[in-house]
Amino acid sequence: MRTTERDIRSVLALVRDPEMPISIVDLGLVERVTLEPDRDSGRHATIDLLPTFVGCPALDMIRAEVSDRVGDLPEITRVTVNFLHRPGWSPDRITPAGRAELKAHGVTVPEAGCGGTSTAAQPELVGLTVAGQAPPVPCPYCDSDETECESRFGPTRCRMIFYCRACRNSFEHLKPI
Amino acid sequence: MPDELGQHRAALTELLLSIADDKLMLGHRNADWTGLAPILEEDIAFSALAQDDIAHAGALFDLLADWNDDDANRLAFGRQPDEYRCAALVTLSDEFDWAVALVRQFCCDHFDQLRLARLAASSLQPLADLAARMAREEALGVGHADQWIVRLSGATAEARQRVESALRIVLPLTPGLFEEPAGVAELEACGLYPGSTDQMHGQWCEMVSNVLEHAGLPATLPPRSGEAGGRRGRHPAEFPGLLDEMCEVYRSEPQAQW
Repeated sequence: MRTTERDIRSVLALVRDPEMPISIVDLGLVERVTLEPDRDSGRHATIDLLPTFVGCPALDMIRAEVSDRVGDLPEITRVTVNFLHRPGWSPDRITPAGRAELKAHGVTVPEAGCGGTSTAAQPELVGLTVAGQAPPVPCPYCDSDETECESRFGPTRCRMIFYCRACRNSFEHLKPI
Repeated sequence: MPDELGQHRAALTELLLSIADDKLMLGHRNADWTGLAPILEEDIAFSALAQDDIAHAGALFDLLADWNDDDANRLAFGRQPDEYRCAALVTLSDEFDWAVALVRQFCCDHFDQLRLARLAASSLQPLADLAARMAREEALGVGHADQWIVRLSGATAEARQRVESALRIVLPLTPGLFEEPAGVAELEACGLYPGSTDQMHGQWCEMVSNVLEHAGLPATLPPRSGEAGGRRGRHPAEFPGLLDEMCEVYRSEPQAQW
């Protein structure tokens, strides 16, 4: 049986981000999968991944699990895992299934196109985004718009903490970056 | 390092070390606030900012280690004091005065965002890609600092006085940020680091002044200085002690695999 790119993507879908309750495929980390001939009629798989944050501490764990799982597939004699910074990851890359699964876990995702507050080429002169200017973030539990940002920094680099005044639950929201 | 960059190796190494060392030391200083910040949200915020700064330093050390056949941990923790290229401001002790930590962060993050934007326009693509990514993350730190400067200036008289006194401590050290790393002119000329320090200093003054004016805290920003300092390995007297503290674990077993 010959391992295909599709087979590799299937096993990548089993790799969960250690800090997120969804797979790295649904999170949009997988940019490219390539297969090339390797020595002894084996094959060399290269997986290009996009880190959510440069300093995400889960990267080494993700790299190790990807290497192990892909390396267990038939004929695969070598696995290379690269972390790339182009294109940059953004929450726009999260799949609809991933969004639904995150919501079920009480984590919301910014609307598509809600990119970072400033780009590298054109830093804003003053980044004064005092609370209240951003579009409302609906509560993942009761869908109310009566929510507020409690902390722009959360339990992981990619999440912020919100509070819903309607159902009085805290929830987490992914940072637009 | 790609072959065609061979002639610029020394200058590029000096530039990247200045950025990485600034971020490493500022991250080390900010990590002091884990568990001690005035409110829980800021405890998380300063820890996260420290995590980003140290991670950015780590990514640059990885790149340098790869290019110069070196080891990233040795670069971070195994050099002599005069081999570090950080500016004096990033190593300034805040004496556990949170206003000083905040104003230090405010000045450094605005500076870093401009420096990373220049690097993001570099002709060296992998470096430009990494810098562009780091600049976007830096924007989160800039926004955090701007908001707090404005918020505190409009709060109680004590809050305002604390920010004012922090500005008096921090601003005189900001010219050191703009001291040029050795060989930067050749990197500007060949497109590896487009732009100029004067231009960057002008932008920085504009951005910082805008926020301070918005906060009703007008301040005269110091001009650039020609003095040789951190970028040439000349550090304040407290620097070796700070390094001893930061490198204690590494030095206990330099060969350890982390």
